[in-house]
Amino acid sequence: MRAETLKGHLDGILLAVLEPEPRHGYAIMEALRDRSAGQVDLPTGTIYPALHRLERAGLVGASWSTVGGRRRRVYQLTPAGRRALDTERNSWRDFSAAVTALLQPLPLAVSPQ
Amino acid sequence: MTWLSTPPSVAQPAVERYLTEVAARLPGSPRAHRDIVAELRSGILDATDAHCSAGLPPAGAVDTAIGEFGDPVQVAEGFRAEIAAGLARRAAVVVLVTGPLVGVLWIVTAVASHVAPHHQWTDLSPGFQVGVPLVAVAAAVTACGALFGIAATGRLTRWLPALPRRAPGAAAIAGFSAIGADALGLALLGVQLATAAGALSPWPAAAAATASIARLLFARRAACRCLAIRTGLT
Repeated sequence: MRAETLKGHLDGILLAVLEPEPRHGYAIMEALRDRSAGQVDLPTGTIYPALHRLERAGLVGASWSTVGGRRRRVYQLTPAGRRALDTERNSWRDFSAAVTALLQPLPLAVSPQ
Repeated sequence: MTWLSTPPSVAQPAVERYLTEVAARLPGSPRAHRDIVAELRSGILDATDAHCSAGLPPAGAVDTAIGEFGDPVQVAEGFRAEIAAGLARRAAVVVLVTGPLVGVLWIVTAVASHVAPHHQWTDLSPGFQVGVPLVAVAAAVTACGALFGIAATGRLTRWLPALPRRAPGAAAIAGFSAIGADALGLALLGVQLATAAGALSPWPAAAAATASIARLLFARRAACRCLAIRTGLT
C-alpha cells in the first residue's frame, strides 16, 4: 500500500499502533507491517516526521532510552492521543460504511419483456 | 547461517553515508539535526539487526535496511516542515517573551529621564508623539504574529489544517515587527540625545539600548531564517 493511499489516515494508524504499548521507530514500522499483514509497507524514514508531528500536537509523548547500548526514541500515546484515536476510529467507521455502501453493485434493472 | 547483530565495521560506513545524505538536505544547522540523525541511525541499525536475525549476511542486511528507509531526499523532505515548525516556534517565543522586558527598560528610561515631565502626552516632543504610537503598533503586530506562530506549531495543530508555511510566515512577521519596534525605540533615543541629552538618565538608557540592539539582531536573524525555510515548504 503506497503512502499516497494512506494520506490522511497515517496519523490514526500510528496512534493505533502505539495504543497497546510504547514503541520506538523501527518497532512501530514492524507493527505496521505485522498488523496489516504486509499491506502497509511505507519507507521507514517517512514515519519519523509523522511521529514528530504527532508529538508536537501533544498526541504522543517521546523520550530517549538506552537499551543494549543503543539510544532509541520511544513514543507513547498521551491521553489526548487516546481521545484522538477514538475520534479517528469513529470517523473511519462512518467513512468506510458510506464508501462500502456506495461501491456495492446495484441489482440490475430487469428490462420489460 | 544466522547473524544476531551486524558487526559495526560492516554497518557503520554505509549507514553514516546514508545519514550524511539525509542531513545534507535538512534545513538549518547540524546542531538542530543531531537528534533527528541519532533517531534515524538507531532505526536503521535496528532494521539491520532484524534482517541479520532473519538470516541475511551483514552487508545485505545493511543494504536492505537502508533501502527500506527510503530515498534520502524523500526522508529529508518529510522533516522539513517539522524543522520549520521548531524554528518558527523558538523564534516566536523569544520575540514574544523579550518584548515586554525590553519595553519595561524603555519605560524606566523614559520615567527616569523625565521625558514627559508632568506625565502629559502634550509634554512630549513631536518626534515622540509620532514615534511612541508607531512603537505600540509594531509591538502589537509582533505579539499577534508571535502568538499565531506559537499556536500554529503547538497543540492547537491537532485541530488546524496542516499548512506548514503558515507558522514560519507568522514568526517572520513577528520578527520583522520586533525589528521595527526596537529600531523605533533606538531612533527615539537618538532624538532625545540630539535635543536634550542632558536630561537622559544614562544607565537605564544604556541598558534599554543594549537590550533593544540584542533583540533586533536576534529578530533579524530569526526572521530571515524563517523566511528562507518557508520558501522550501509547500
